[in-house]
Amino acid sequence: MNRLATRAFFVLLLACAVSVPAARAQSLLFDYVGFDYEDPNLNPAMFGAVGDGYRGLGEVGSLFGPLTSDQTNFQYTYYFDGLTATARNTFGPFIVIDYTNTGTLTIYEDSRSSGTAADYGTNPPSAVAPATFTDGTAILVGNLTNFQYVFNTSTNTGSFEADFEAVGGTQIGNFPLNQRKGWTFAGTSGNSVTIPTGYAHQVDGQTFLNPPTLNRTGTWGGIKARYR
Amino acid sequence: MKAAGMLLAAVLLAGAVVSPAFSGPLVDWDPAYFWEAGATPINSSPGGQMYIVGTISAFGGPLAFLNANMPAKEYTFYVHGLTSTGTVPIIPFYVTAYTGGTIDIYEDSTPDAVFDPNPPNVNVPATFTDGTLILTGNMSNFNTQTNTITPHQTGNAEGDITWTGGTLIGLLSNGVGGTCPALFTGGLTWSPDVNIPGYLFRHDGKIDDECPTPTTPSTWGRIKTLYR
Repeated sequence: MNRLATRAFFVLLLACAVSVPAARAQSLLFDYVGFDYEDPNLNPAMFGAVGDGYRGLGEVGSLFGPLTSDQTNFQYTYYFDGLTATARNTFGPFIVIDYTNTGTLTIYEDSRSSGTAADYGTNPPSAVAPATFTDGTAILVGNLTNFQYVFNTSTNTGSFEADFEAVGGTQIGNFPLNQRKGWTFAGTSGNSVTIPTGYAHQVDGQTFLNPPTLNRTGTWGGIKARYR
Repeated sequence: MKAAGMLLAAVLLAGAVVSPAFSGPLVDWDPAYFWEAGATPINSSPGGQMYIVGTISAFGGPLAFLNANMPAKEYTFYVHGLTSTGTVPIIPFYVTAYTGGTIDIYEDSTPDAVFDPNPPNVNVPATFTDGTLILTGNMSNFNTQTNTITPHQTGNAEGDITWTGGTLIGLLSNGVGGTCPALFTGGLTWSPDVNIPGYLFRHDGKIDDECPTPTTPSTWGRIKTLYR
């Protein structure tokens, strides 16, 4: 029993030892442009009120490896949801909204010839949004954690960021097990006349993948020696 | 025949009063990089000169006929002449406003743009300013917003554009003798994980065509006379 526990301990140590982050640059996974809105919107006069749901949708103009894409024949769209504002703090004209729960960002692939073209419509959720952004094949599903939104009410602009982890979708198999984590960020603005009625801001963002975590080969003897 | 004329008028009227569907940004880039000698992400001295170079990944609206992904051509832009008014701290946020500025967009049939480190250098901005100047405009109200609290070091930048020239300026007419205004907007990151040495920010952004929908009150009689 004692020997078994010792072996289990070393296995755990080995697991820790082999997860050495590589000193390589992060890679761009996809680039997206769209709009955001709140649903539910408990306080329409205040963006990011605690309890408000935060959602976004739009088009994915560029996808990079390990994702594969065919922009000629397919339209790529994104939709994120599942985020609820849990804290809202102000610093002069700036507000910082934290979403401590886990959100989901999904990329869909929809045929340009036989699918339904994405339509923002107005006042989402509506008959067309998010429905025309969530039809087709979900090629990538990712979890969003530590989501934080910063907004300057004076300039009417801001940004958001979150940690991202690929967890599903038809192309999840393209992602090595040691390279599924990354992060996303976007600029947001309420200043454009192109924002459809009922949406809060326009959004332009990118998602990056962290470098793969590297594995090192070792022997039991070498590992034991390290901890003696 | 008269019925056909009325139908035509009705169609034209409908076109005049219905907002066009959102057709994506006028220009979308991926990525752009900023540099300013002596500046840090949270401090820019008055008089500092900000420069931006970027590679365009997509066109929309009146420029949708341009293909930014054709290997034989590249589309780039260069922003110069942005003069800092100094960073204003609203701790933990930092806002820097700039005066002046010119944006130039080029179409180059000899793709060569490269973000070499530590600009200006032999390739930056030179490889972004060769080719045909398709659009140029004056910038105003440009500002950057940064902070010391976001884990991935993210903020945003935004400014207005007034188009003044270039071979394609005729496509941006507002229909009443001028050009449509435009909005330069997007997110910033100064994370070293995705930046290049010597640059201050990586920017994911776009330019929106801010042309108001032209609507003119009229009567059926006036519309009929237009087509008689």
